[in-house]
Amino acid sequence: MTAVGTLEGGETDSTGEVRTRRSGRGPVRLVVLAGLVAFVVFGLPTLLDRYWLQIVTSAVIYSIVTLGLGLLIGRAGMVSLCQFLLLAIGAWVALRLEYATSLPFPVLIVVAGVVTGLIGALIGLPALRLSGLYLALITLMAAGAITVVLRIAQFPNGGGGFFGNSAAGGASSRLPRPAIAAGDTAYFRYCVVVAGLMFVLAVWQVRGKSGRAWAALRQSQATAVAAGVNTMLYRLWAFALASFMAGVAGGLLAADSGGVNINQFPVQNSILLLAVVLMGGVYSLWGAVVAALLLRLLPALLDNWGVSTELLTILFGIGILQVLLTAPGGLADQVPKDLANLGRRLRNLVSPKAKRAAPPT
Amino acid sequence: MIEVHGLTVRFGGVVPIDRMTVTLAGGTCGLIGPNGAGKTTFFNVLSGFVKPIAGSVHAFGEDLLAVTDFRRARWGVRRTFQTEQAIANLTVYDNVLLVHENTGGGRATRRQDVMDAVTFVGLEPEANHLVGTLGVASRRLVEVARAVVGKPRLVLLDEPAAGLPADETEHLAQLIRRIPQETEAPVILVDHDMSLVSACCATTAVLDFGRLIASGATAQVLRDEHVISAYLGAEEEL
Amino acid sequence: MPDLKPFLVLGFALGGVFAMSGVGLVVLYRATGVLNLAYGAIGATGALITWSLLDSDWAPDWLAYLACIAFGGLATLLYGVLFGPPFAARDPLVKATATLGLLLILLGTMQWVWGRDPHGITLPTTRWNYELFDARVSGTQIIGVVFAIAVTVGTAAFLRVTKVGTAMRALANDREITATLGVPVRRVEAAAWLGSGIVCGGAGLLLSNLVGLDIVGLTFLVIPALAAALIGQLRSLWVTLAAGFLIGIVQSGLTAFSEVAEYRTLTPFVLAILALLWFAIRREQSLVRSSG
Repeated sequence: MTAVGTLEGGETDSTGEVRTRRSGRGPVRLVVLAGLVAFVVFGLPTLLDRYWLQIVTSAVIYSIVTLGLGLLIGRAGMVSLCQFLLLAIGAWVALRLEYATSLPFPVLIVVAGVVTGLIGALIGLPALRLSGLYLALITLMAAGAITVVLRIAQFPNGGGGFFGNSAAGGASSRLPRPAIAAGDTAYFRYCVVVAGLMFVLAVWQVRGKSGRAWAALRQSQATAVAAGVNTMLYRLWAFALASFMAGVAGGLLAADSGGVNINQFPVQNSILLLAVVLMGGVYSLWGAVVAALLLRLLPALLDNWGVSTELLTILFGIGILQVLLTAPGGLADQVPKDLANLGRRLRNLVSPKAKRAAPPT
Repeated sequence: MIEVHGLTVRFGGVVPIDRMTVTLAGGTCGLIGPNGAGKTTFFNVLSGFVKPIAGSVHAFGEDLLAVTDFRRARWGVRRTFQTEQAIANLTVYDNVLLVHENTGGGRATRRQDVMDAVTFVGLEPEANHLVGTLGVASRRLVEVARAVVGKPRLVLLDEPAAGLPADETEHLAQLIRRIPQETEAPVILVDHDMSLVSACCATTAVLDFGRLIASGATAQVLRDEHVISAYLGAEEEL
Repeated sequence: MPDLKPFLVLGFALGGVFAMSGVGLVVLYRATGVLNLAYGAIGATGALITWSLLDSDWAPDWLAYLACIAFGGLATLLYGVLFGPPFAARDPLVKATATLGLLLILLGTMQWVWGRDPHGITLPTTRWNYELFDARVSGTQIIGVVFAIAVTVGTAAFLRVTKVGTAMRALANDREITATLGVPVRRVEAAAWLGSGIVCGGAGLLLSNLVGLDIVGLTFLVIPALAAALIGQLRSLWVTLAAGFLIGIVQSGLTAFSEVAEYRTLTPFVLAILALLWFAIRREQSLVRSSG
């Protein structure tokens, strides 16, 4: 039986985690999480100046995209190379609707998400019967096609016609923010809330029927079918969900400072997105946050320190190879393990009498 | 009651099943034969993975071949695989829950049904453990639990004891014997371990080169000279 | 009806290079299971190396051109030797994704070393001009077409006639059985890597001349090559050849029609998507192969 998209290797063995029980430390984790979110929402904006706040806002928005792609790869075992362009489509839909209707901001975002989700499902539909490689290729081709069309159509800026774009409108298009989130700090918090909702959606899906069906799919097609899982439906759903998230993020991006223009969506960004998602870790939802930080925060930091950002491209390339070769769980998986190992070594140094045998890795 | 008439499967030039006709009564029925005889292919036909080019399969009077793909499992066909396929990343409970919720199991009794199946195979203490952390024997038991949860109508066990030491095999044998009364579904057991087959199966059918060469009470079938020569080859002077 | 001839000529030449690259992709995929998405990036890097050598006058011109081809072969071979074995047992999807890592490494390196200034290489053959069928044709363009056909014919013959070629076909068919037959798998794979790499280098050199030395542009010219390979079902060299020409001609030809000229770069994507759709409809996904 062939396993669908086994990023962790040829065998379908355990992930190597030695967790025996669902964490009994659940309540502690929730408190820590709540504390972290509170800090991010209330504390962080006060510590950052305008420029850095915008960078972090951008990272929050992109974490929604990386969340979707991480789910797609880590849970459903499918690789998509067009998520970045679906982000652009989400922005396009939101902008087009804004000029054509007077729907409130949250509705615009959700509609953008749904439309993008449907488009994503349409792209993935033909490839569902083919192997994972062909799905990745079809998304690559779709990404290229969207790039070309986008370059011609541009983003809507109030002009007429279906494309809603006129040369007089200017190169960038910006979605007006909702009244409660007009300022940079307020918009940052708004984005954090939306991202939080997306993460809740992700957790709900992963812990529920979809998550179990995807786990069966990742094991092997045969296992899933033998368990009565409608494999095509759940594959399609994974694709639609990831695309929905990209669409929502697109809507948020359109209202980001500076708006959107087509130069923000060069072809190679789709591959960079894949790289950071793999590096961040596809088996943990935190990996999405790490990925977004790699994609948005790191270049800004390097830029600040005068290091050329092309080196990041090289780093991400090495990252892809490294993750696929040795650390399929990415940083989100590796760092906790490394920290745990470090912690254990420190404890042994401090109290050698309490040395226990190292657990199997 | 499973009625198979003239079943034929062809892959390119290979004919794994050749005009197979057999009626499998209820209870536990063994299915044996040398390697390449077509046993797993037969299971693949029953569970909907392989389409035959000729013949029919009727289960309890219903045309099984008309039910396609994953719907076969929803109809009630459950199977385990030669290479153990319990999902490592899910807990024991979730593994069984997966099958229950995808095969029309009622939501009202879901928790109870799943725990019943988990308890039946004796894995209740490990219900919340990730399957990947369990040993081979327990993982095989998870597969059996998945096969019996809810309301199965046909249980197919493909070498469930492969790779297990003798005491675990014994435990498994006792479980298998209890399946028909626990679930009211007939069981078909494929295995090479003849003592397991004798212990669990009242009747046995024998395949060789995709054809049925014997069927009937297990003890008699195992003594049948055609069966013995199929396993050992045509001429064997001892 | 606008004058299509100059566009068709360019289209044929471009298509030839697409076809050549496509054939290289297919052979490598069949022999190793790796769909080398970094194909364009390797060719682009080689072309930039050539440009640097030409610009700095370190070496005679012919050596500079050779450097592109040599780099293509050696870089691809190096990747194959280093990353082939560890990924050997993995899914083709994982292998192809890994080549995306190589793509990023090369892309970043190119952008860092050579910056974003436009460069240009003019092969001597570009200055040779001929009159063919009432249109002006450059030597480079003729080479594009001729090499495409030569590479396809040569590869097909190589696969059929030589021992290494036969071994490659066996590998494509069933890797494990081939290994047990005593075929030196690693060596055969290395030959496939080297061969496809040399073709890659040559394609890069030709493309840089036909299309311009744009880093990102050249890197993503793997797409039309990939489209041709997909139309050939990642199997048939001749269909790949024909598909490559088709893509080049259609894309170039559309330039002449002003209403759709903007959309011409959609050609490889649309054709590839159509090809993939066709596979999806035709292919029957059987879950389990026959077993005992």
